[in-house]
Amino acid sequence: MVNSDGQLFTIEAIAASLIMMATVFIVVNTTSVYTPGDTHINDMQLEVIGSDALKAMNYPDNGTIGKSPLIIIVENGDGDAFYTLFNKSLNNRMGTGPDTIQFMANVTYVNRTGMINSTPLNMSRPLYGGEHAVHISQWIIVDSWNDHLVPARNIFPECPGSGSSCSGKHAALVEVLLWRD
Amino acid sequence: MARLKDDTAQWIVLMGFIVSFSLFFLAIMLNQSTVVGQTTAEAVSEFPKEDIRGVRNVVIQSMFMDDAVNFNNKTTVQREIRTLSLSRQNAVVFFSPPIFDANGTQSYYFIHYNNGVSAYNETWTFP
Repeated sequence: MVNSDGQLFTIEAIAASLIMMATVFIVVNTTSVYTPGDTHINDMQLEVIGSDALKAMNYPDNGTIGKSPLIIIVENGDGDAFYTLFNKSLNNRMGTGPDTIQFMANVTYVNRTGMINSTPLNMSRPLYGGEHAVHISQWIIVDSWNDHLVPARNIFPECPGSGSSCSGKHAALVEVLLWRD
Repeated sequence: MARLKDDTAQWIVLMGFIVSFSLFFLAIMLNQSTVVGQTTAEAVSEFPKEDIRGVRNVVIQSMFMDDAVNFNNKTTVQREIRTLSLSRQNAVVFFSPPIFDANGTQSYYFIHYNNGVSAYNETWTFP
């Protein structure tokens, strides 16, 4: 015998299932699942911090027209100054202790034979390969011949003497790898 | 269904439907959650925002350099910009000498950047 009791059961079941679904929906939505696709968020933040710090170093002091601190550092091969300046702007924080971002910086340039070459600038610790590093870079235009150095010389290693093929202005790329410990 | 004598069977069938539907929707949600952010991540990591800005910056700087007699500064720097961006940033960068308008007051610089995925073209006007 079919009677109308089933209708009431059905209505009740639908109501119950809606409540169950709503509960499950709310519970699932309150927790965030860290999927592999989300790693780019941390990478992006690190990239933004790093490229801002490097970009800030590539502006001349106080609106003067002249060389930026970064260009002066590269021209003098002054790895210590780079370490101090970059590390401070990268890792100093308000309140709690310093951040733990590590870096490795190279200067990439075109040598006399037209080949690409990199020379290390400085690093906070060697990169072993297990680290998940992001890459940032900053373009600079430098004078290869530097007479502030004693003895005066071309800053790029393949450029001995003051030959016209090396002296003059050159484009170079300061490339930095950043990672967190 | 009409043949069923006992109405508990209706109940069992109904519950079966409900459970299977809720399982189905849960499975859909679980399925979707694994690919959340996939396209965003790809789009973000493929778009070379800082590279483009850097190249644009240095190209414009190089436009105002002069070719001194001995060193050919401008030519050298511009050649090196092309070489470096090709080898270090996997991008073909092309730019040409300025084109002046009829009055000779405005100059137009064409900057092109292409790394195979993203292309950027700009006509930069000076002043």
